[in-house]
This record gives sequence, C-alpha cells and structure tokens, in this order.
Amino acid sequence: MSGPAHHPSEELLLAYASGAADEATGLIMAVHLAYCAACRMQSRELEALGGCLLQELPPVPLSGGALDAALLKLDGIKPFERAARPVSRDGTPAVLRRYIGGDLSEVRWRQVGPHLAYVPLFRRGVATARLLRGVAGAETGAHRHAGLEYTIVLKGGFSDETGSYAPGDLQVMEGDMRHNPVADAGEDCINLAVTTGRLRFESLLQRIAAPLFGF
Amino acid sequence: MLAYARKLSIPRRNPAFRHTGLNLPMTTQPQEWNILLGRVAAQRDRAAFAALFAHFAPRVKAYLLRLGASPALAEDLAQEALLNLWRKAHLFDPAKASAATWLFTIARNLRIDAIRRERRPELDPEDFQPEAAPAADDGLAMADDEARLRAALKELPADQIQVVELSFFADKPHSQIAAELDIPLGTVKSRLRLAMARLKRALGNETWGSAGDAP
Repeated sequence: MSGPAHHPSEELLLAYASGAADEATGLIMAVHLAYCAACRMQSRELEALGGCLLQELPPVPLSGGALDAALLKLDGIKPFERAARPVSRDGTPAVLRRYIGGDLSEVRWRQVGPHLAYVPLFRRGVATARLLRGVAGAETGAHRHAGLEYTIVLKGGFSDETGSYAPGDLQVMEGDMRHNPVADAGEDCINLAVTTGRLRFESLLQRIAAPLFGF
Repeated sequence: MLAYARKLSIPRRNPAFRHTGLNLPMTTQPQEWNILLGRVAAQRDRAAFAALFAHFAPRVKAYLLRLGASPALAEDLAQEALLNLWRKAHLFDPAKASAATWLFTIARNLRIDAIRRERRPELDPEDFQPEAAPAADDGLAMADDEARLRAALKELPADQIQVVELSFFADKPHSQIAAELDIPLGTVKSRLRLAMARLKRALGNETWGSAGDAP
C-alpha cells in the first residue's frame, strides 16, 4: 500500500516531535501520521533524537526527599488503562474523533458559499482548526491567505495550482499565496484545515459572508 | 551547550539503592534501562524504579528548566514524569523506543499540559496498522539506532548541535531562534538541514532529512 504523496516538511515533523508545535498544528500532524507510515517512522526517529538529548543533559539534582516522596506514592498508583474508545463507523481517525466528538459522517455542516461548508473545531491563539467540505467537482472559492494554511484531505480529493491532493496528503500554503481549490468529481471533498490569519475570498458573496463565520 | 564530552556518570554508590540494599548493575547502556523498565512493568520492582528515578528525574528536571519552568515546577513535573513511568510501564515497548526516548515523550507531554495548558494531539494506536510484525530483536535494533544517533550527535559541529538543541529545548519558532542567535533564518535552517542529513546518514536512513514533499 502506498502512502500519501504530499508530506510535512522536516521542520514541521521536528516541531511536532519536540513539542514546540501548537495544538492545531499538532492535530494536522497526528492526522497525517495516521495515514503515513514513512512520516511515522521519521517522527519516531526524531523522538529518539529528543531521547538522546535528554540523556545527555547535565542532570540537575532534585531535592533530598524527592525519591522517598515518590516511593511513598507508588502503592497508591494503579496501572494506566487506555479508555475504551467507540469504534469509528467511517474510518475517522481516533485523534480527530476526540475533537469532533464523533465521526465525520455525524457532523453538522454550516454553509459558507454555494459549494463550501465548514465545522469549527477549536481556536488556540492565532490558529484556528476547522473541517471543510467542498461539493464534488465544484470550485470552493479562490482565496488568499494572510498567514499559514495547513490542509489535510480526509475524504475525496482536490486540485489547485499547486497539485492534486488525496486522503492523507498535506498542503501548506503560506504568505500571500492565492489558490483556487476544485474538489474532485465523484465525492465531496472533506478536509481538516488549520489557518493563522484571515482568509480573503475573491467572490463578493464569500467576502461578505466569511467574517460572519469567523474566517 | 550540552556536555557531550563529559562522560555520563552515575555515582558508583547510587543513593537509590540504599533503600533496597540490592546491587543492581551500574551501567549507562540503553538496553539496561530498558531492562529495568521491564522489571517495573512485570514485577512492580521498586528497586528498578529507584534506579530509573535516580538517573532520569534529574535529567527531566534539567529539560524542564531549559524550557523555562520554575525550579519548583520542574521538580514537581520531573517527579510526576517518573510516577507516570510507574503508571504506564506496561505500555513501554522497547521495539519502538528506548527508556530515555519514552521518558522524553512523557516529559514533553507533561510540559505541554502543565505549562502551555494545551494537549498534544497524539496519534492513536488504533489509527494505523503496525508496519510489520515486530521481530524479537527489534528492541536491540532500536537500541542500536539510538547508540548510533548519540555517537553522531557528538560528532556534529558546535553550531549545528546548537540549533538541534534549541529546536528541542527552546519552544520557539526558528525565526525567533535566529533573532536570538543574531543570525539569518536561512542560516538556522541550513544548519539544521546539515545536522539532520548527518544524523540520517548515521542511521543509514536515506529518506530522512529531505526537504519538503518527499520524506
């Protein structure tokens, strides 16, 4: 089985492995890793690098009683058990289910233009995470970005000036790049998108509507 | 700067063992830490826990101090990290990571929870099929990888170690690291790329360190 064609940069993988990535970017990475064995491997190697660095840090002693205090607590600690998770009926990655509160097929879409719908997930600092759904075969609205946009395909696919994207593929748009994504024919395209800064749509209708929806 | 040249030292008369009177091997071999962790998992071995605590808690504390935690918080979280080790030892898989790497991921996530008040979206084990049935010696292969990684890390030029280290211990975007080192962003990125390429070669992994779209 071949994996996705579009991958995060090494810088992004490093930010996720080191813990520097914010939560929204981390979600993008975790979802990509769910699809991509090659990046899972790299991610493990970067964590091993973190382990090596930890191992080599000059130790800073804890206070005298720290070990005794820890030993006293051991008997009261039960082995960790992973909470049972409901099984996804449509293949939604579990890491994403926790943010959606269920499966992709269960979300309530809000329309923001004739061919584009969205579901807000969360906002942390300047980053906003949303689900986006484009109608199969339709243009979803040409736009520019003031900041960064990470998009990862969950279902269907889309194409724009930069290439074609299928499930698991990650697209990174930055600076003042413009693109006009067109959803593949056959099936609506569902993406997870994280943006910093506002999107500027070109169509008048979407320009008026977008701020009302927090875009 | 890390004390790479400094020999790793565990005191011969490790205070951890005063509690037990046991004479556990004094060693810094990653495999030995894995074995101690295995004893914690299988037998709830307190002496093994004490040995792991004595070695790793001061390093976790050092890690948290580097990332800006107050001494009191760093101490609390270091203790919490080791208690998490006791709680989750049965989940440790030496085929995936060394004890040091596993503790690094625990400390990283505790810090994100406690200091950034976010969570780190974690890939769920249910979200992918394991790459292959783990071979019996995978743990050794991983320990071997980490030994090569550590050796390669020590061979890096100082300016490359610095950016690798800051990527893990500064919790800052590369642009800010560049500003603080008073060097151009491109220099930070190229040093990091060179460092990653060398570490990749040490692992015999030709796919690591490639830019952008192709891991």
